[in-house]
Amino acid sequence: MQLPTTARLLPLLAPVHLLILSVIVLPSLYVVWLSLNMSSFGQAPSFVGLQNYVRVLADPAFHRALLNTVVLVVVAVHLELAVGLGMALLFASGLPFRRFLLVAVLAPYAVSEVTAVVMWRFLFDPDAGPITLALRALNLPTLDWSFEPSHAMTLIGLLTIWLHLPFTFVIVYAARLAIPAELYEAARIDGATRWQAFRRVTLPLLAPAMLIALLFRYIFAFRLFSEAWLLTKGGPARSTEVVAIYLYQEAFSFNAFGPAAATAWIMVVISLLLAGAYVLLLRRGGLAHAH
Amino acid sequence: MSKKPETKLTRRTFVAGTIGAAAAFSARPVLAAGKTLNVLSHKVHQTVLGSGDGDLLKDWLKAKDVEIAFTTFDSNPLQDRLFREASLKETEYGVGYLIDNRPTSQIAALFEPLEPYQKQDPIEDFADIAPGLVQGMTVDGKLIGIPVRHATQGLFYNEALLEEAGISAPPTTLEELIAQAKKTSFTSKAGTPVTGMVLASDLAVFPVMFARAYGGDFVSSDFKLVPNREAMESGLAALRGMFEAGSLPRSYATTKNDDQVTWLQQGRAAFTILPFARGAQLNNPEQSKYPGKIKAVEFPGSAAIKGKVAMASVVEAWAMAIPRNARDKALAWSFIKEVSSKRVTLGMAINGNGPVRVSTYADAGLKAKNALAAVEAKVLATARGAFPPFPEAARAQATFLEEVQLAVLGRKPVKDAVSAIIERVKPMMPA
Repeated sequence: MQLPTTARLLPLLAPVHLLILSVIVLPSLYVVWLSLNMSSFGQAPSFVGLQNYVRVLADPAFHRALLNTVVLVVVAVHLELAVGLGMALLFASGLPFRRFLLVAVLAPYAVSEVTAVVMWRFLFDPDAGPITLALRALNLPTLDWSFEPSHAMTLIGLLTIWLHLPFTFVIVYAARLAIPAELYEAARIDGATRWQAFRRVTLPLLAPAMLIALLFRYIFAFRLFSEAWLLTKGGPARSTEVVAIYLYQEAFSFNAFGPAAATAWIMVVISLLLAGAYVLLLRRGGLAHAH
Repeated sequence: MSKKPETKLTRRTFVAGTIGAAAAFSARPVLAAGKTLNVLSHKVHQTVLGSGDGDLLKDWLKAKDVEIAFTTFDSNPLQDRLFREASLKETEYGVGYLIDNRPTSQIAALFEPLEPYQKQDPIEDFADIAPGLVQGMTVDGKLIGIPVRHATQGLFYNEALLEEAGISAPPTTLEELIAQAKKTSFTSKAGTPVTGMVLASDLAVFPVMFARAYGGDFVSSDFKLVPNREAMESGLAALRGMFEAGSLPRSYATTKNDDQVTWLQQGRAAFTILPFARGAQLNNPEQSKYPGKIKAVEFPGSAAIKGKVAMASVVEAWAMAIPRNARDKALAWSFIKEVSSKRVTLGMAINGNGPVRVSTYADAGLKAKNALAAVEAKVLATARGAFPPFPEAARAQATFLEEVQLAVLGRKPVKDAVSAIIERVKPMMPA
C-alpha cells in the first residue's frame, strides 16, 4: 500500500524543520521565558510576569530610542526607495558603461558594515575628514555630527541608505527590466507623455516589487545597529540611540536579561505589525497590478 | 573496457570521507584540552607575558608540559564572556581576568574562593602585593582574584607643545591645568590645530577625576552617592568651561579612549589623562610624532584641596580568577601562582604592565627602563577605583555619563545635571 504523499515527504522535510526548530523556535521560546523572569549573571531567574515589558514600555529612554528608530526607518527607507527607483529607471533608459556603473552601485553591499562606518567616520571627521575639509573649502555647511544630534541622525541615515541602496535597486531594476517594451510602445502610440507612461505603466507594474523591497527594508532597518553604535554609540547623551542599541545596552552592558528579552520581543511584534500592514497592502493593491 | 580514473570520487567515498572528517574534527578539542590551559583575557595581559625567547612563562610551560591558549577581548566583551562561561555547567576556561569594579556578591559567587589554594600552595611573598588591590578582590570576606595589573591614571602632556605655548612646567593645580589647556589650544608650528586637552566621553574615569580634584566623588568607597555636591558641580563646571573655551574638542561626545592616544601622538592635543603604562606607546617613535616629548605627572587637585587632601586618582585593577565550573583548577592555580611571582611581575612591568607588587617599583632595572615608575608608585599610594562594585553599577555609570555629557555640551545647566545624577542614580544604589 502506498503511503500518503505527506507521510512520504515528511522524512525529506524533517532536517529543515529540525534546523528551524533548533535555531529559531527554541531560542525564541527561551527568550520569551527570559522576558518573563528577572535574571543576571550569578542570579537565579525569578518569575516576574509581564513586569519587564511594563518596565521597558514605561522607560523614557526606550521611547526616545523607538522615536529615533521610527524616524530613521521612515526617512531612510523611503528616500532609499526613491533613489533606487530613480537609478533603476536611469539604468533601464540605457546608460553608457552600464556594467561598470552597475558594479559601482552594487559595491557598497559587498562592504562590511564595520568597514563602512570606519570609512565614513574618517571621511566625515569633524576636524580632519576629507569631505568636511572639502565642504569647508567650498564654503558649504558641514555635518557637525559629533555635537548636533540631528546632524548625527542625518549621517546615520545617509550611511544606512548608502549601505542598503543596492538591495532596493536590484529588486526594482529587475522588475523594471521585466516590463515588456510593447507596453511603452502602445502608450506612445496612444499619445502618452513620458510622465504619463511613468505614472500609468511603470509605477503600477513596479508596485509589487517596490512593496516587497519596502517590506524587507522596513524589517531590516528596524534592526539598525552597527551604523549608530559604531558612529555615535547612541550619543551624545543617548540622543541618537535606536531600539537595537537599547537592547544591546540592557543585555550586554547592564546584564539585565529580562528587560533585554522583553525589548527583543517588542521589536519582533513591531516588525510583524509593519510586515502585516505591508502584506495587507500587497494583497489589496499591489498584486492587482502584478499581471 | 572502460577506464575509470583512479581519483574518481564516488558518493560512497564522499560520504565516508565527510563522516571521517567530522569525527576527527569533533575529537580535536578533546585531544587538545588535556595539555592546554585556556585563559580568557585582554590582549594586553597576553602581550606583557612576552613571547618566544622572552616568554616569561617558558620554564613553567616546560615543567608542566602545558600550552596556554589565550582568548582575548576588549574589556567589556571580556567580562561578559567570562561571566557567561562561569554561568555554564562547565567551562573549558581555567583562568579569567576580572576587573575590580565588576565582582558583586552574585558575580563573586561564580568564582572559586582562593584562600584554600593560597593556604595549601602559597604565592611567593603574598604580603608584597598591594593590600588595597587585594581588598578590591575580596568580596563577602572571600578572596576571588589575585591582582595582576593596575592601570593608574596620570596626566600626560606634550612637552614640545607646552614649550611652543611658552609654558615651562606642567601644572601643579587644576586651575593651572585649565589655564594651560586654554593656552595650548592653538595652531602649532607644524600647522596642526591643537586642542588643549582630549578626553573620552564614554568613561566615568574623567569626570570622576575632575570631581575628586575638588574633594568630591561620584560614588564613594562606602557607597555614598555624590558625597560632596559642590565638588561635583565644580568638577563638571570646569569641564564645561574647558569645552566652551575650545580646550576640549568639539567632537568630545564621540571621542573614544583610542582617540586620546592618537591625538597625543599626532600633536593634536597637548594634555590627556591615561594610565601611566601608556607612556611607552605614546613615545613610540614608530607611532608618535613626538617620541620622548610626551611626559606624565600626577593629575593635579584644585588649589582648594592642595596640601589638605591627597588627590585620589582613578586606578583600575585586573585580577586572575578561577571560574567555579573550571575543569582543571589545580593547573589554573599553578598558572596564577607563577604569574604572581616576583620574577614574572617584574618581567611584566618591564614589558609595560602596571606592577601590583610594591617591591617591583624599587627595582633598578625597571626604574631605568620606565621613567614614570616613580611617579606611578606615588600616585598609586592614594589612588582608588572609579566607583565600587554594585549590581546596578554599569547602569549607574551610563546614567552619570549621560548627565555629564549634557552638562559639558551645554545642553543642561551643571546644577541641574548634578541634581539629575543624584535623583536618577539613587534608586540604583545598593540598599
